[in-house]
Amino acid sequence: MVETNISKEVIQGFVDGTISVEAITLFAVVIGAIFVNNVVLSQFLGICPFLGVSSKVDTSLGMGMAVTFVMALSSIVTWALQRYILVPFGIEYMQTIVFILVIAALVQMVEIVLKKVSPSLYQALGIFLPLITTNCAVLGVAIIAVQKDFDLLTSVIYSVSIAIGFAIALVLFAGIRERLETEDVPQAMRGVPIALITAGLLAMAFMGFANVVQLP
Amino acid sequence: MSKLQLITKGIVKENPTFALILGMCPTLGVTSSAINGMGMGVATMAVLIMSNMVISMIKNIVPDKVRIPVFIVVIASFVTIIEMLMKAYVPALYASLGVFIPLIVVNCIILGRAEAFASKNGLVDSALDGIGIGLGFTLSLTAIGAMREILGAGSIFGFSFAPGVMPLLFILAPGGFFALGYLMVLFNKVAKR
Amino acid sequence: MKSTLKNMVLVLFSITAIAALLVGLVNNLTKSTIAETEQRNKDLAKLEVLPEFEGEPQLEEKCREIGDFKVNVTIVSADDKVVGYAVEAPSITRGGYGDRIYLMVGFVEEGDNTLISGVKVISQKETPGLGANMTNKGNSLELSVVGKNPTELKFAVKKDGGSFDALTGSTISSRAYANAIETAYAGYLWAKGELPSLEDAKSGATKEHDEAKTNDEPEAQKGELSNE
Repeated sequence: MVETNISKEVIQGFVDGTISVEAITLFAVVIGAIFVNNVVLSQFLGICPFLGVSSKVDTSLGMGMAVTFVMALSSIVTWALQRYILVPFGIEYMQTIVFILVIAALVQMVEIVLKKVSPSLYQALGIFLPLITTNCAVLGVAIIAVQKDFDLLTSVIYSVSIAIGFAIALVLFAGIRERLETEDVPQAMRGVPIALITAGLLAMAFMGFANVVQLP
Repeated sequence: MSKLQLITKGIVKENPTFALILGMCPTLGVTSSAINGMGMGVATMAVLIMSNMVISMIKNIVPDKVRIPVFIVVIASFVTIIEMLMKAYVPALYASLGVFIPLIVVNCIILGRAEAFASKNGLVDSALDGIGIGLGFTLSLTAIGAMREILGAGSIFGFSFAPGVMPLLFILAPGGFFALGYLMVLFNKVAKR
Repeated sequence: MKSTLKNMVLVLFSITAIAALLVGLVNNLTKSTIAETEQRNKDLAKLEVLPEFEGEPQLEEKCREIGDFKVNVTIVSADDKVVGYAVEAPSITRGGYGDRIYLMVGFVEEGDNTLISGVKVISQKETPGLGANMTNKGNSLELSVVGKNPTELKFAVKKDGGSFDALTGSTISSRAYANAIETAYAGYLWAKGELPSLEDAKSGATKEHDEAKTNDEPEAQKGELSNE
């Protein structure tokens, strides 16, 4: 018998055909999604609203809340669709089409329901809702959550954390941009270019979170 | 607008990346090397041309209120079909681009052109618009990819000239923002005159 | 066109139906080709990770299912002599940045020693330009294992006290790569019936290697213990 450095977990896999991986703690999922793999600053999803609605802190807070709401709902729906329809019927290849349709429909429904049930909340979030259909972060996260094979609870917590990460990045960025307004920026750099360079600096700051937790 | 103008407008005047500022997610996400940027550009162009053509054909039978969902379904179907075809017939290309293909669905350029152009224009013009915008997108992505690859990895199109001495930052996330930001400054300075 | 409930439902439904039909059709058309291509690539990889040899290759397959994963061991022989083992293995206990990493790893035996003769990445979804560099020829991960004796490898990146030179800026991908090599090696030993027993194994992939244990305890004695 040879002396090796193969770990217990791997050997156990071959011995009884099961893997006992250390369960991912929800804490790691949350911190990982908010800071380490920030959806905007390290995954490059949802850049369009990030650049588009980040000139004021108030509006970015509203957008952040709307995205959180939709992402939480869509993670439940897409999780159920994947598990109970796409996989059992063997039509996983329809995933992209089904998910994007569901998200578009969901956004419309949220808009209609919100208008009826809570006009004040609708006032606050309403204008952001149509923008969310084109927010690639929502589809991106739905697909990533399915890929990672999370259970329902983890999936929802993951999606909400991602959305919180999105909101944090958006609000931080809006704060910086509000100050930039009054600065004397060279003509060619005004608007989007300086915003992108600022985002780069923010992304560098977020790189400091790397390796804080063991990622899922 | 002449037919030729439809094709050339995407390169400078209506450049999707630098002038229209659309499709930022794939622009930043895949441009860690020149060849990746180019591959994503070409794949996007293929989807864009086909979706533009189909949408211009069905534009008269689609009710306004379900316009966006219908367009999204058309785009998502083409992306899925292209993914499957590439996997089957050009596996080498698929291996290097595979991860990016599903991302094309969420590229707002395609939905944007469907909304702004294909749903108002004829079949031929829509196809040409797809070629033009696709060309502009491919050129921009290749430029950003080349800049990041040169500055971050010391190579260009995979040919290494200064391995290990360049700051890796340009391949990492912040470098994506910097490269795009500074190239946009350059574009504003040169092209908007 | 003006929207009424009737035409909205009708158009949306028929477009979706046509799209689903088309996608399903293309899926059926390409399914077998995709499977064939993947199989061909794997068959090629099996020979690529082993040194060149003469004669017609004979393949003997052994498969171990672990949870949802499969480890495929192919014993390649020519002229009734075993050339080597090509093991296709995923990183079973550790995902990469994108998904599990699948590697084809070649093992050859020279006398009493086993050497890793080659590694080929079968599938990975790592970040382009960073983790995806593991597919490049002569990358630091490949160099850390090819030509090495797997008994001497510690299956972790150098940062965690292992023997793998991580790819620059991609610790997570590199850890998964090391895990896939570890799985492949375990698969090789499993196929030969020489897998160490659970009691002998170290717990935790990144645990510090216990130097004293390897030095002081003779191989034979260990063997006797685990055979009981």
